[in-house]
Amino acid sequence: MSGPLHLDPDTLNACVSCGLCLPHCPTYRVTGREIASPRGRIAAMRAVETGAVPIDTEFRAAMEECVSCRGCEAACPSGVQFGSLMEGTRAALPAPPSRLRRWAEWLGYRVVLPHHRLLLATTWFAWLGQKLRLVPARFGLPRLSARSMFRPLAVPVGGTPDAWLFTGCVMDAWLRDTHRSAARVMAATGTAVSRPPSSAACCGALHLHAGREEEARSLARRVIASMPGDAPVVVDSAGCGLAMKEYGVLLDTPAARAFSARVADFSEWLVRRPLPKMRATGVRVVVQDPCHLRHVQKVHGAVRNVLAPAYELVETADDGLCCGAGGAYSVLQPELSQRILARKLDALRSAAGRVDPIVASANPGCMVQLRGAGIDARHPADLIAEVLDG
Amino acid sequence: MTTPPDTNRALDIAPVGARTHWEVGGPPVAGATEVRAPVGVLAYEPADMTITVGAGTTFDELDRVLAEQGQQCALDPRSRAATVGGILACGLSGPRRLRHGPVRDHVLEVRFETGDGRLVKGGGPTVKNVTGYDLPRLFVGSLGTIGVLHQATLRCRPRPVRSQWFTGVDTARAFRPAARLWDGRREAVLLEGVDVDVEAEGRGLAALAAPPRFPDGPHRGRISVAPGAVRACAAALTRTPSESASAPGEVRWCAELGVGTIHVAADDAAALARARSVAHAHGGWMLREAGGSAADDGYGCALPNAALMRRVKDAFDPAGKLNRGRLPLGAVHA
Amino acid sequence: MTDLRACVGEGRASDEPLELALYARDAGVAVGRADAVCFPGSGAEIAAAVRVARRHGRPFVARGSGTGLAGGSTPLGDPVVIVTTQMNRVLEVDAQTCVAWVEPGVLNLDLSREVAPLGLHYAPDPSSQQACTIGGNVGTNAGGPHCLSEGVTSAHILAVDVVLPDGTEARLGSLAPDAPGYDLRGCFVGSEGTMGIATRIAVRLTPDPPCVATILCAFDSVEAAAATVSGVIAAGVLPAALEMMDARITQAVEDFVGAGYPRDAQAVLLVEVDGLEGGVATQVDAISSVARTNGATLVRVAADDAERALLWKGRKSAFGAIARIAPDYYLHDAVVPRTKLVDVLRRVYEIADAHELIVMNVFHAGDGNLHPLLVFDRREPGIWDRVYAAGTEILDACLDAGGVLTGEHGVGIEKRDLMARMFSVDDLDAQARLRDAFDPDGAANPQKVLPSGSRCGELQRVPDGTWI
Repeated sequence: MSGPLHLDPDTLNACVSCGLCLPHCPTYRVTGREIASPRGRIAAMRAVETGAVPIDTEFRAAMEECVSCRGCEAACPSGVQFGSLMEGTRAALPAPPSRLRRWAEWLGYRVVLPHHRLLLATTWFAWLGQKLRLVPARFGLPRLSARSMFRPLAVPVGGTPDAWLFTGCVMDAWLRDTHRSAARVMAATGTAVSRPPSSAACCGALHLHAGREEEARSLARRVIASMPGDAPVVVDSAGCGLAMKEYGVLLDTPAARAFSARVADFSEWLVRRPLPKMRATGVRVVVQDPCHLRHVQKVHGAVRNVLAPAYELVETADDGLCCGAGGAYSVLQPELSQRILARKLDALRSAAGRVDPIVASANPGCMVQLRGAGIDARHPADLIAEVLDG
Repeated sequence: MTTPPDTNRALDIAPVGARTHWEVGGPPVAGATEVRAPVGVLAYEPADMTITVGAGTTFDELDRVLAEQGQQCALDPRSRAATVGGILACGLSGPRRLRHGPVRDHVLEVRFETGDGRLVKGGGPTVKNVTGYDLPRLFVGSLGTIGVLHQATLRCRPRPVRSQWFTGVDTARAFRPAARLWDGRREAVLLEGVDVDVEAEGRGLAALAAPPRFPDGPHRGRISVAPGAVRACAAALTRTPSESASAPGEVRWCAELGVGTIHVAADDAAALARARSVAHAHGGWMLREAGGSAADDGYGCALPNAALMRRVKDAFDPAGKLNRGRLPLGAVHA
Repeated sequence: MTDLRACVGEGRASDEPLELALYARDAGVAVGRADAVCFPGSGAEIAAAVRVARRHGRPFVARGSGTGLAGGSTPLGDPVVIVTTQMNRVLEVDAQTCVAWVEPGVLNLDLSREVAPLGLHYAPDPSSQQACTIGGNVGTNAGGPHCLSEGVTSAHILAVDVVLPDGTEARLGSLAPDAPGYDLRGCFVGSEGTMGIATRIAVRLTPDPPCVATILCAFDSVEAAAATVSGVIAAGVLPAALEMMDARITQAVEDFVGAGYPRDAQAVLLVEVDGLEGGVATQVDAISSVARTNGATLVRVAADDAERALLWKGRKSAFGAIARIAPDYYLHDAVVPRTKLVDVLRRVYEIADAHELIVMNVFHAGDGNLHPLLVFDRREPGIWDRVYAAGTEILDACLDAGGVLTGEHGVGIEKRDLMARMFSVDDLDAQARLRDAFDPDGAANPQKVLPSGSRCGELQRVPDGTWI
């Protein structure tokens, strides 16, 4: 029997309240409060489902404080599918009371993200704002480069490549250099690379986290259609990669499942190929695992394997706890996000033994978050492209 | 709870074992009725590594029975004639506490009679137990002031294959030795284990033919300081040549490194009193074990949490009959 | 609430219905009701919060991570719940004397990680060690696999700064050995929050052993495994840890972790020995030989640290992994003498069969500390009565074998009303008097540990919406 959130009772009841998730939850780690923990959120969902408490501002706030890092899922011995409970709950939450916020969400999710040209145009405005020093640093916007934005990505569009490189929305606008590195490294392995047309502008991950399932499905169908054939789909954003690997569940069609099976993270794809020749640098690099790469895709080992020939890799001692980026989380929950980030910075610095470590991070959100804090965060593709021999 | 009216002094009760710990904390009041506990092994299952004995059983007897099965209980009293009841009541751990833990960690279950005549069981007979409050630990070191012990269940361990004292300059490097002693002249370390390990760890050290002895004398005490302060405190016990001849006599001492216990002995009460003041100066205290001056009872310092301890005492011995004189708390009922 | 906010700060006290609902229970089954919850940041704030509660005639309940399984931090009597999770600093570490001062909200595993570079660790390692707090460990006198050779929490706590139930602060125990007078520290450890709240804890750290070996043994019968446990101890070997899992648990864990446990074994033993090289080698030989004598089908020594870690991960994930095979479980915690393991285990399976329930066993065999798990589906009508009846019979069987009610989870509310099965009227009276000496008004974690006159129904009658 399900209640106002329409959650699957078996999924909800799989939680035995053991509390083993607590230390793996970034918001619990910084607040110490049950309401900011996976166990507490599930208990709150149950309380709403049984009618014990209403869907009020407290409940909404508790649900929106979750970063959706899914660290709890990896830690849960009972296999509770927290991500699906949280997406379901957010989908069932009524529209937010604030009109301004409803308008902003409409603009972001419905207009800008799915229309790549609009996003690029917005980004040019942001660049202008940065130049005129109108954008405060706390917004976490990465330093935008006009040169990078002006030059298109030198990868052919469409065709029948050996592998697709998915370019996405925000990443193509803000971190296009990383796509260039990825394409160079892929080409260095003798792979013919293509990118999808701009119709596949956005994977829909952010929509899904925000509980906008219908929009996410529509974007998923566009992405699938944009990369036909059976060539691997290489994704250099851990967040997008996960969303695309879950299209099979989201759309529940044979075609979607077949597509999801083709999706691979950049490092995951690369490690299966003969690695290109790299110069050993001896430079110490701290590996920061994006949550969706580590906790859900579980391919974070590949990052180490592809970087190991060229760099001295060190690990953080925080069990891969989230950095607080969480897609749009750093914008929507700036205070919590910054507290989570502070913990991560401590872990990165003590792992590297210096205040200005070089950090490998396979997700644009994390890179932006860490760079915002002055950390030299680079994508594994960038790190490898730098040391390619020849 | 109200305290019942004070009872006849003739009802003073003093549990007695082998009298090896008779003056620890101060001698019991004169004229107390002496009571004795049952003697003998009540249950011993070597495969459980637990043994239940009457409180009047001597350590010598206990150790003999355990040794037959290749086991031990590292209570290690100063005298093997000491009874289990006396060892537990006084809570004086032997030098191997460094590795094997203090007396209180060896006790699983106690059965004792309270001051108001109830037979009370606390703890449980199994090696692991958290059912109810920890009366065994409360009893250990209570100096017989909350009850008269009838019997106790103790945890045993395998006896080490080899046990050897060594001396040398670098005894700190051994991995978790059983004991480390220092008497101002040399350091000694007790290594336990299989032959190859004891030999490997003992390399560079000199084997001792006999174990070091604790100092003895008519006036004895046991200093406790934080382990980090033990060397400084012990060194301060040794008289400097510049002190005048009229100063109190020499204090002989032996310190348990890593633990913080310093065993002291002297030929005159004044020297023991000086040892006590040295202990205080190093943030510790001294429990009087034998001799000393009558004015200098117990720990020679105000007990921490005395009000709470008094309520605990009242909970088990409301009339204040048990072992008056052994713990300064008794003063409330004097 | 105003007074509470004044002492812990705005935003660190709450009486929002949603937040209070989340503090109504811990990892046990019982559900209570909190009147307010606060998150003090210092010992002084805890003391202030206790005094506010007392001034308003409220009891108080201390809580760490809420991973207790006996309902020890379930709020009863409309208390103020005082949560220590924001006090999570390791204050001082002295590697020379192996002592650390920590705040109560420090997580057990975090402490060991923090001191790892010094070659030290904190020995008690409950299965929930990644999530549970040192303060909670002190409250329950927590155990864990490695307590077999190192002893439970109480043996590792040197001193505790506490707020007593009247709101005053005191230091129990000392860094120097044998604090003068009664061992109040010993009383406090394991008192399940009924004697006050720890605000600063001095723990003993243990040097890492130079050599560790973990052995996996598989058997065709539970009896053979249990006989091996007794045999190992009888052979004069005291391993660092000695754990046992039956066939159902082994399979569930293997599905979850892939630890390399043999799926066809009827019982698996996980034995760890540590210390110096020679001693470890001797003990590995002795254990292997006892296991083979008892018909072990597999005796494997972990090849490296990675394999060791994986074997332990499997063991420590056992309880949660149960949820993969049945929607509900009820976990018991009792101790029997090691020599009675075979008889008691047989009895446990018989009792479960008689009630048509499935029971699984995963436990600290070296200590004789059983953890029978009754698995069921609560949607089945009348099932809870059967589970409760079977559980009680199992505990009786353990007591009949000379055992005790709880080895490490604590009494809490779960076993409170069973205390009279183990203790006489005089025994319980003595414990009640000791508690009264600390807390004459019964303000600290009321209605726990000791049975009251009336038998309450928290366990038989599970409120709607409760999950097990």
